[in-house]
Amino acid sequence: MALSLTCPICGLRNGYEFRFGGADKGPRPLEEGLTPAQWCAYAHLNTCVAGVQLEWWNHKDGCGTWFVARRDTRSNREVPKEDVQ
Amino acid sequence: MKRNLLMNRLEHLPTLRIQPRQTLTIRYNGKNLRGYAGDTVASLLYGCGERIFSRSLKYRRPRGLYSLDGECSNAMMSVDGWPNTNAETTPARHGMVVTPQNVVGSLEWDPMGWMDHLAFVMPAGFYYKLFHKPARLWPLAIKGIRQAAGLGKLQPEATFDCRCDAIYPNTDVCVVGGGPAGMSAALAAAENGLRVVLLEARPHLGGFCDYRVRAEKGGMPLYQWVGALADEVRATENIRVLTHAPVVGVYPDQRITAFQRGSAADVFDLRYIEIAATSVVVATGCIERPLLFASNDRPGIMQIGCAHRLLHTYGIRPAANAVFSVAHDLGLEAAIDMHDQGVTVHCVADAREDGQDPQMLSALAQRGIPHWRGWVAQVAHGRRQLRGVTLSNLTGTFKKRIGCELLVASAGLTPLTGLVTLAGGALAFDHHTGFFLPQRLPPAVQVCGRIRGLHDPSSLSADGTLAGLRAAADCGLNLNREIARAEAAGAAAPGAVRGSKLAMAPGKGGKAFLCFDEDGTVKHVQQAMAQGFDVPELIKRFTSIGTGPGQGGMPGHNLPLVVAHSQASPDSDPQPTTIRPPLVATPIAAYAGGKHDMAKRTPMHAEQLTAGGRMERVGEWYRARRFGADPGAQDEIIGVRTNVGLLDASTLGKFRIFGPDAVKALQRVYVGDMTRTVPFRTKYAAMCNEDGCVIDDGVVIQTGENDYYITTSTGRAGQTVEWFRYHTRYDSWDYHMVNLTDAFGVINIAGPNARQVLAAVTDADISNEAFAFSTCRDLLLRGDVPVRAMRLGFVGELSYELHVPASYMAAVWQMVETAGQSLGIVHFGLEAQSTLRMEKGHVILGSESEQRTTLHDIGLGFLWCRTKPEAKTVGGAALRHTADQPGRLKLVGFKMEDPRSRAPRDGSPIVDARIRGYVCTARFSHALQEPVGMALVDDDLVRPNTRLGIYEDGCNGTLRHAMVVPMPFYDPKGLRMRM
Ligand SMILES: [Zn+2]
Repeated sequence: MALSLTCPICGLRNGYEFRFGGADKGPRPLEEGLTPAQWCAYAHLNTCVAGVQLEWWNHKDGCGTWFVARRDTRSNREVPKEDVQ
Repeated sequence: MKRNLLMNRLEHLPTLRIQPRQTLTIRYNGKNLRGYAGDTVASLLYGCGERIFSRSLKYRRPRGLYSLDGECSNAMMSVDGWPNTNAETTPARHGMVVTPQNVVGSLEWDPMGWMDHLAFVMPAGFYYKLFHKPARLWPLAIKGIRQAAGLGKLQPEATFDCRCDAIYPNTDVCVVGGGPAGMSAALAAAENGLRVVLLEARPHLGGFCDYRVRAEKGGMPLYQWVGALADEVRATENIRVLTHAPVVGVYPDQRITAFQRGSAADVFDLRYIEIAATSVVVATGCIERPLLFASNDRPGIMQIGCAHRLLHTYGIRPAANAVFSVAHDLGLEAAIDMHDQGVTVHCVADAREDGQDPQMLSALAQRGIPHWRGWVAQVAHGRRQLRGVTLSNLTGTFKKRIGCELLVASAGLTPLTGLVTLAGGALAFDHHTGFFLPQRLPPAVQVCGRIRGLHDPSSLSADGTLAGLRAAADCGLNLNREIARAEAAGAAAPGAVRGSKLAMAPGKGGKAFLCFDEDGTVKHVQQAMAQGFDVPELIKRFTSIGTGPGQGGMPGHNLPLVVAHSQASPDSDPQPTTIRPPLVATPIAAYAGGKHDMAKRTPMHAEQLTAGGRMERVGEWYRARRFGADPGAQDEIIGVRTNVGLLDASTLGKFRIFGPDAVKALQRVYVGDMTRTVPFRTKYAAMCNEDGCVIDDGVVIQTGENDYYITTSTGRAGQTVEWFRYHTRYDSWDYHMVNLTDAFGVINIAGPNARQVLAAVTDADISNEAFAFSTCRDLLLRGDVPVRAMRLGFVGELSYELHVPASYMAAVWQMVETAGQSLGIVHFGLEAQSTLRMEKGHVILGSESEQRTTLHDIGLGFLWCRTKPEAKTVGGAALRHTADQPGRLKLVGFKMEDPRSRAPRDGSPIVDARIRGYVCTARFSHALQEPVGMALVDDDLVRPNTRLGIYEDGCNGTLRHAMVVPMPFYDPKGLRMRM
């Protein structure tokens, strides 16, 4: 329950309003020439960073937008943009 | 006679929290007991003469009223069917049914009471060790233990009529604790214009001053002083007061969870509270530290606050005569008040040698109550109830036995620091107060009041004000001058009070209970230490002390003290045990909340009911299963096959998607080629997940330039927009989606006579040439009702699907019904639809597919366009990789070997030597006059004429047999839907 997130449209809101969309792994790979292993890695493997991770979140009970948040997985808190680097 | 005497309450005390004119009755153990509005279940029972409240967990010892704040499991009862309800914190309500727990016979005489004499075979950790070897005894042992142990009984069949609610307030400052310090803090923050939420665990504000008439602040008795403070707090608009709301946890970013019990006047019985604050003030005060001596758990032994509040808050004289063994001035004050209300106080044993309030001492002397310094209760006498007590000096060299009904016992105070620890603050043992005091505080957390060792009312008020100002500063106000002034005022007020360090009365520690919940004694701690455990945290695990419903509350302080006391170097500082949420036992219902069932009804709900529809829940919707008594809905099926039927399909997901990049989004999400749509032609299309497993099917219709209308299955409607946006999240495409699911209803007219019905309500040319199969038309019905009509073939007959604005649905429904009346149009429901489409071999996702089923598995691989890799279709890569994957379950049609037998039940496994698949849907086919079905089976069983063994529940090993046959079963060329 501790999480609260900043929606780019609605501002700081309770974590309950959002749906997790996985770590930010970059755009979908090209389908041409993709091996099953490469595909599986993109679709299912996660690095599970202990630290600040870029993640997709959906403001499902709000405006509905998907956005990237920076979350410290150790404290389960959102990290402001300027603190990342 | 005794009971009648005890029924009398002291009615004229100014501190009363009951309404002596408003009586109520509860049913307790088969008796009707009377109390008053404002009573808790516990105070009502005590007022009616009940003394034994429960039997203990392990030893089955009788237990009575000890605290009044639910700090231990002594008063856990079953209330109106809710097990493990704490009678101390549950307001009594008229008609309540209360029964004691953990009792085989009666509370007074429990045949399991002999367990107490077996205490010597149940040393610390016995549960872990005794039944460990040999291993085969463990299942037997665990069965016996499970029957004897545990608190309360779950009633799986019970339904609780509980009004549950949840609130999520935002505030600047959240103050926890409604005593003098907390109220002062709330006022200080509120005066600076901030929003404040004040949480108080008890049903009323005032804390430990609420029931005190003797001590004063500024010439005002304390109860009046806090009463005035409470009035001021309640009159302050920007303070929201939540009483009867104990805090459960504190989380990062000053998030606080609590739950609240409502009264009959509230709109809830139980309310979950989650507060987002900028700053938190912890003013939780103190509880009493139990005095450890032999049989300190006998009914008739209670804490100071318990006795004092029974007397002043509830107007109950706790006994005719009493002995006190205390170590704090609060005990002296209680003894004086008790005497003044007619209780004979034999003597007050005071563990402190000095430091008493001289005014209290002279008040005791005036009343002739002996006050013994450096004395303490050593052994309690009596079996079911207290008969007397042996007092001794601190070294145990002198003893005196005194008969009494009541022993008020307390070793001192202990601050409630759980919130501080949970918020990330550190505690350190303080030798002056004998408390674990907050040391390092996390940002935006303030502490004030008795939790810091203060006691004097003027100190509490100054400290509260200071904390309130600091909290306001946390919120961004510049209050440096005010804070400096408040700091000076605090420094001028009396400081922290020296606390009692008494760890335990002289004695061996047997039956000296540290933890009532788990029947944990001082002896258990010593046994654990003898085995090498030296850290309170580990001793807690091994002895289970402090792991009961009361959590660390009561033993949390005594355990480290006893451990430190018993250690080789007695000067080592005690170490606190870890605190975790929930801080108080919280009903699961507080989290589960109320009934969240928010079912949806289609615009045709009422009309279908009138037509005899039997509604059932399908996902979030109510839909008609059938319109008649026949579970197979044969008349409806025959109606559609031979005449015409009418179905409400409004639950279909319906969307408009438009914009220059709309087609790219469709290409991404649908497996087919969406660039090849023809305007107003329906394109059957499917969506897969990343694994190529099919998740949705529906039609896509291009209705304009860059403008599309799509339908989804009922179950997927809610997630579709999110799904589209998720899978295009990197692309910044310019398209928009509108969910029209609830904006449009859907009427399906199906059957060979469907065209006649539609022709009767529209002037448009709907001949087969003008409106062919697989096309879509926007029509006007009766000249002015706009509908979007499609010719689809789900049930395998000539069929029109009318998408109608929801507000026109009733009118159109009636038009169609009237138009079909002369033909004998039938209503049909889900059951008929499912059989009809099954005869056509059409799948319903979820019936003919499950989580692992790919598009290829159900024979819909042709929907996938493998020549659009640039679209990066969701599931495209997996469909490529699984196209010829062996070892998968595939969809087949089957007929029974015996055509006269009934259809097998849905879900029945298909077996030979092992499980080979399962029946998806099987029904009697009217068209074929025999049962047919669809099944997912291993890929080596898919060839026609393969024999399938079907195992049904209760078949006793006798399989039924079916043969794989080609699909569809009915009209394989699909001529009927193209008529
Ligand atoms: Zn938003």
